[in-house]
Amino acid sequence: MKDAKSTRFPPWRPAALLRNRAFLTLLIVVLVWIVAGLAKPGFGSYGHLRYLLELAAVIGLVAIGQTYVVIAGGIDLSVGAIVTVSAVGVPLVALSGDSSGALAVLFILAAATGIGILNGLGVAYLRIHPMIMTLAMATFLQGVLILIAGGTAISAQNPLLAWLGNARLIGIPAGVILWTAASAIALFVLHATPFGARLFALGANPIASALSGINVRTNTMAVYAVSGLTAGLAGVLVLGMNGQGYVGIGDPYLLASIAAVVLGGTSILGGSGTYAGTIPGAILLVTITALITVVNASAGWRSILFGSLILLLLLLSGRDSQRR
Amino acid sequence: MNGTLYWPAQRQRNRGLYGLFAVVLAFLALYAYLFPGLLSVAGVSKFAQSWLPLALVSMAQAILMLTGGISLAIGATVSLGAVIAATTMTGPLGVPGGIAAVAVAGLAIGAFCGVIAIRLRLPAIIVTLAAAFIIAGMALLILPRPGGAIPGWFSDRLAGNTPDALYLLVGAALLWKLYLATPLGLSLYAAGENPVGAYRAGVPVDAARIMAYALSGLLSALAGLFIAAQTGSGDPVIGQAFTLNSIAAAVLGGVGFLGGRGTMRGAIAGSLLLSVMINVMFFLGFSPVAQYVAQGLIIIVAVALPEVSRWRRAV
Repeated sequence: MKDAKSTRFPPWRPAALLRNRAFLTLLIVVLVWIVAGLAKPGFGSYGHLRYLLELAAVIGLVAIGQTYVVIAGGIDLSVGAIVTVSAVGVPLVALSGDSSGALAVLFILAAATGIGILNGLGVAYLRIHPMIMTLAMATFLQGVLILIAGGTAISAQNPLLAWLGNARLIGIPAGVILWTAASAIALFVLHATPFGARLFALGANPIASALSGINVRTNTMAVYAVSGLTAGLAGVLVLGMNGQGYVGIGDPYLLASIAAVVLGGTSILGGSGTYAGTIPGAILLVTITALITVVNASAGWRSILFGSLILLLLLLSGRDSQRR
Repeated sequence: MNGTLYWPAQRQRNRGLYGLFAVVLAFLALYAYLFPGLLSVAGVSKFAQSWLPLALVSMAQAILMLTGGISLAIGATVSLGAVIAATTMTGPLGVPGGIAAVAVAGLAIGAFCGVIAIRLRLPAIIVTLAAAFIIAGMALLILPRPGGAIPGWFSDRLAGNTPDALYLLVGAALLWKLYLATPLGLSLYAAGENPVGAYRAGVPVDAARIMAYALSGLLSALAGLFIAAQTGSGDPVIGQAFTLNSIAAAVLGGVGFLGGRGTMRGAIAGSLLLSVMINVMFFLGFSPVAQYVAQGLIIIVAVALPEVSRWRRAV
């Protein structure tokens, strides 16, 4: 009776930790921070690390949805555009009688989720490849955004956003707290709910999961809706930190979110991975960018360094993702 | 390619493309109606010149997608090709040396990506994403800001009032036919469709895939060279839009993401559709903004159409 339960999981071994990609990525982050902190005084200071975490929070939020979509066997190339929609949209829908600004934020988050559902509709019902569907959506949104916002930056007069961007609770930025809370929910949903289990099944083998009674269409739509929601949330945070939104503000987060997902050990082919790896992946990306800025090289060398470092980290952490 | 089987095989490959060909023809007719000047040597030349770079990058993307790969580095490679062309052609190497330098750079970069993605078994999408940063960095190192020069006679030759661009495109399509008849070309579809089965049947799967990456780099860099000749100078970020457009054109042309599905003629037709669409919208006086919106919608509709028509058959 006793061992029936204990065989559910393999017995605990310290060596298994070293093969855990999420843990390995975290280890790399810690190593990089220690080395950079010793080599460059000021890099390891609390203020600087806190700033890095604040930047990583935005990538991390976008990457929640991206992790979900990638695990479910898709990819979302519209997250950058959705971040922009949300960062530009919140100041535009400033409603009267909405003194806290929460209504505007809720409205935009609903809109972002709606865009995600549209992506899911195209992928699930029209059977458009996710890459094309989300790409076309990004092109479409870009046009609409320029139409609505034009080329100017729009400032937000929103108390909730100002709080989100600047407040510190016991020294921790509100954005980082938001990210922590969102991460906890994301990890719980992914690993401890039926919905999360269905995502892994969908990514591993969509036909088998359909035959086992999973509603592929509903779950596909749900996963893209989550991606829209988290991208919208990231846009709200970016707006809070920046104070103003403009067309193109979300563009860097598309590639960053995919890179964070892959560096965290999630298979780009779907079916395996965890958001627990994406978190250090996002921090690692921000750290690399900060290090390259410190080196004070020309734009060309910075770009080469960034690409080479990603390739190098991929060799360390992303190896057998094609060998399933 | 002996007589009896050739045409049935070609018909088989055209299947599923008739809809696309019809849409392309309709758009071409609309374009010719809006802009009667198209039906002249100069009109055809100008149109072919605006189409050629997109057609070349679509071929570059389609080759990779046929083997089950994908490249996000196409745009950066186009920029690099343009920059190398603009800096070498007026130098001691001259025009032939410049062309050779662009071709070698394209082949080498493509092969490098291929070796890393295939030999080290890393996912293509993320390898080429990282490579895109490296290549874009190299382009910025060679030419930090738009500049350089292309000899005037060379620009006139390629982008003047002669339909040379069209000849080049036909030449590229013929070379593709020839490549498909070589052992590596024959392996291309097999390596994409069923790599394990192909490997067991003795097909050089890895070599075919790495060669596809190299050719893809070559085509992208040559597209950059043509753009440099068109504009008369080099710009280190001119290629950016081509990455996504090349994927869109290949998918419009029926090339599948999983490898082994699709044809080069489809990809070329897809690029033709995109480029006619952009021209038509320009002539209809669409603002650049509305063009984005329309482009997004048209891509979705074109890709979703086969699925919707299947619903109707099922009902």
